Amino acid sequence: MEPILTVSHLQKYYGSRGSVTRAIDDLSLSVEQGEFVGIMGASGSGKTTLLNCIATIDRPTAGTITVGGDTITTLRPAALSRFRREKLGFIFQDCNLLDTLTAFENIALALSIQKRPPHEIEQKVRESARLLEIEDCLHKYPYQMSGGQCQRTAAARAIITDPALVLADEPTGALDSKAARLLLDRFEALNHARQTTILMVTHDAFTASYCHRILFIKDGRAFTELVRGESSRKAFFNRIIEVVTLLGGDSGDVL
Amino acid sequence: MFCKLALRNVRRSVRDYTLYFLTLMFGVCVFYVFNSLENQWVMEALAANGRNVNYTGVILRLVDVISVFVVVVLACLILYANHFMLRRRKKELGTYLLLGMTQRNVSIILFLETLCIGLLALAAGLLMGFLAAQLLSAFTASLFQVVVEEFSFVFSWKGVGKTVLYFAIMFLLVMLFNAVTVSRKKLIDLLRAQRENQQLRLRSVTASAVMLIVGVVLLAVAYAMLLRRGLLRVDELFWVMLAMGTVGTLLFFRSLSGFLLKLCKGNRRFYYRGLNCFVLRQFNASINTNYLSMTVVCLLLLLAIGVTACSVGVNLTVEGKADRQAPVDMTLFVEMDDFTAEDMAQCMKDAGFDLDTCLEEYVIVQRPVLRIEGETKEKWGTMFLYTISLSDFNELLALQGEAPMTLAPERYGLAVGTEPEEYMDQQKDGWKEGKTLEVGGQVLRADPEFCHTGALYTTSSSISTVFVLPDDVMESIQPEEISIMDLFLAGNYPKGAEDETEDRLWDSYFDFQDKLTEKGSGYSMSFSTKQTEYMEAMGTKLLVLFLGLYLGIIFLVTSAAVLALQQLSQAADNLQRYQVLSRLGVEENMRDRSVYTQIFLAFFLPLSLAIVHSIVGIKAANEVIQQLGKLDAVSSTVTTAVIILLVYGAYFGATCAGARRMVRGK
Repeated sequence: MEPILTVSHLQKYYGSRGSVTRAIDDLSLSVEQGEFVGIMGASGSGKTTLLNCIATIDRPTAGTITVGGDTITTLRPAALSRFRREKLGFIFQDCNLLDTLTAFENIALALSIQKRPPHEIEQKVRESARLLEIEDCLHKYPYQMSGGQCQRTAAARAIITDPALVLADEPTGALDSKAARLLLDRFEALNHARQTTILMVTHDAFTASYCHRILFIKDGRAFTELVRGESSRKAFFNRIIEVVTLLGGDSGDVL
Repeated sequence: MFCKLALRNVRRSVRDYTLYFLTLMFGVCVFYVFNSLENQWVMEALAANGRNVNYTGVILRLVDVISVFVVVVLACLILYANHFMLRRRKKELGTYLLLGMTQRNVSIILFLETLCIGLLALAAGLLMGFLAAQLLSAFTASLFQVVVEEFSFVFSWKGVGKTVLYFAIMFLLVMLFNAVTVSRKKLIDLLRAQRENQQLRLRSVTASAVMLIVGVVLLAVAYAMLLRRGLLRVDELFWVMLAMGTVGTLLFFRSLSGFLLKLCKGNRRFYYRGLNCFVLRQFNASINTNYLSMTVVCLLLLLAIGVTACSVGVNLTVEGKADRQAPVDMTLFVEMDDFTAEDMAQCMKDAGFDLDTCLEEYVIVQRPVLRIEGETKEKWGTMFLYTISLSDFNELLALQGEAPMTLAPERYGLAVGTEPEEYMDQQKDGWKEGKTLEVGGQVLRADPEFCHTGALYTTSSSISTVFVLPDDVMESIQPEEISIMDLFLAGNYPKGAEDETEDRLWDSYFDFQDKLTEKGSGYSMSFSTKQTEYMEAMGTKLLVLFLGLYLGIIFLVTSAAVLALQQLSQAADNLQRYQVLSRLGVEENMRDRSVYTQIFLAFFLPLSLAIVHSIVGIKAANEVIQQLGKLDAVSSTVTTAVIILLVYGAYFGATCAGARRMVRGK
């Protein structure tokens, strides 16, 4: 089966002649339909840049990215908006809900900009709210909700359009451990129930342990890859910790 | 170091708030133009005409008074804008403090910035004002048909001094305000300002519906009061009416967005289409903090519209009036005992103005003023009866090219005076009722056919109603009955030599006065000519037009600038929201449209309410203006509308462009 996301030989350089920063240097990866993939790495390793390139927020210097058959690195700006609207779902660290809108309207917005009829919008909003267990705070404004509820609302907004790929950038970064666990449980449920493909960037090993597969990045290059397989989450978590320790090896060498 | 930092900050804020700085410059420019009027060549030319018509003095005095008012409005704008910019820069100021600058240093930076901005605005504004003043001079000259002999660029030091003084005070205030703000802020508040700004205050929809109803009712009552009572009755109720109007406007704006939201939410097909729900929510959220400024803007706009429309209206009215007030080229009036027509002709001749040679045609008529007492006084509601003989009256008519009128025997006729007596005149009512008049021992009945309206001679003051009596009755009046004997000389200039004759007439003014003094001390006299009347009417016209435009433009520009500033800074606040939208896949032009819609609502809601207010207001004002004459409502409204839409539209367009640039992040 064709992978849902293919990144091949991606390069992203910042700066001009003289002082070039290689944020991503010849990186390739692919994600299959229904996978829950994590990307880990230290600060400045290029994981957010990678996500931004996939999210079409940033343009890569070289290389191609293909999502669901579309080569997005060559799309025009107008087509990019359409692509984001229809094929992608976003979840960010600071949930990025519109604070002037209620949770319901925030979720509905993703559909209303696709000009869907109102009865369909209502039905779909309720459906995804049920899936993320936020039905009782749909009429609330973001500032009236807890961080976890906000983040699950953002998740509901991300999946309501049935996107080919959901991108999550440090979704648990601003949450306490209980809310984080709740959110990740929901991610797992989504991945299970709707076969949603999720690509999640994180530097938290616990969060990463929910993934099926983890790609480690160091200095803009692929470092290693871990596959959970049939192992328990606890065992997977321990393996992740090992790699993270290894990743931080530079400072370890000094000691 | 501080200078460098301050300069860079100035550059940045000028770029971000171009519209505000343009407004500031424009304010300086307008202020200079009107305060340098005194020194403008055209004013000097007009003031130096030497014909004891001093309208420039009135204009200048009023400009002085109104300038203070304008300064207050501009100072409010500057303080508001400064407060606004400072709020947006809290984080930056916090960073300065965090880096170890003392509050004193930060104050110094802000001081330097304000100084820079002030100097820039003053210099640019004065330069603009200097050019604009020349344009205004040329425009005035064309209005007065003044022949431009020497067109010179005038730089008014007095205007500059005044402008600099007033604006220096304003900027000093700003500096003081800044220093106080900085010294009173805690570092943590400054650094966390960004988050605080995003706090929302949302109100229940039911409350807003109730508020809207109360607001509309208050407005309706205020309107009704205004239309019933008229504009000029200033008593306690007048202030109650003003307060009701203001509170009504405030409640209207405070509740409108909530009400709109409720309304649109009812229509799901509309609410959940595209960004409609986002725009409505944004508008609702912003109006909860903006309703106060929206109210102020609405009232300022009302003033701008009202003042401009009324001044244009009065202007057209005055123009029409000038012709009706001056039926003959010149009138000389003397009131003196035992002064005859021959004396008058002789005195004029001695003064260098020979009536027979200088004038094409003329008549000298007597208008005896009879003192009446007792019952007669009650009957006519006056102490003095102005009378004229039929033949004198007909001679005056002949001079105006009108056919003579006839009076039946033992009757009296009436020559109704000019405004304001045209409208309420007891003598006219008496004549209509057919009251009899006892004069010279005879009883005269009213001639129902004989009623002349229109000015009999040229004068700047109003003309009293005169009784026209048969010649024989007039002769039979005993000298004791006459309390004052007025003598009028009315004449027309020879064709083609109007200007020379006019000059000769005024040259003889003082000599004539001397001749009169030789004859006796108790007299009063006046010269009136068509040309001075015209000039005076034009003076009134100019006065009203200048002051109207001055105030109107300042109000309009100030309110538009406040809105522009507010919308631009809101666009900056909304940047993050638009980023979210962009990530959700909202296309650029869709985002632009939502920005425009929000700005449109912010600009045109206050304008619409202001227009409704001013329609009612102008209706009430019309009744006042109508006492001066009929107001040409259509053309004044159109002119006003064009001016306002042009200026306001320009601000709207510029704000849209600026906000678009901001949201697109370019």
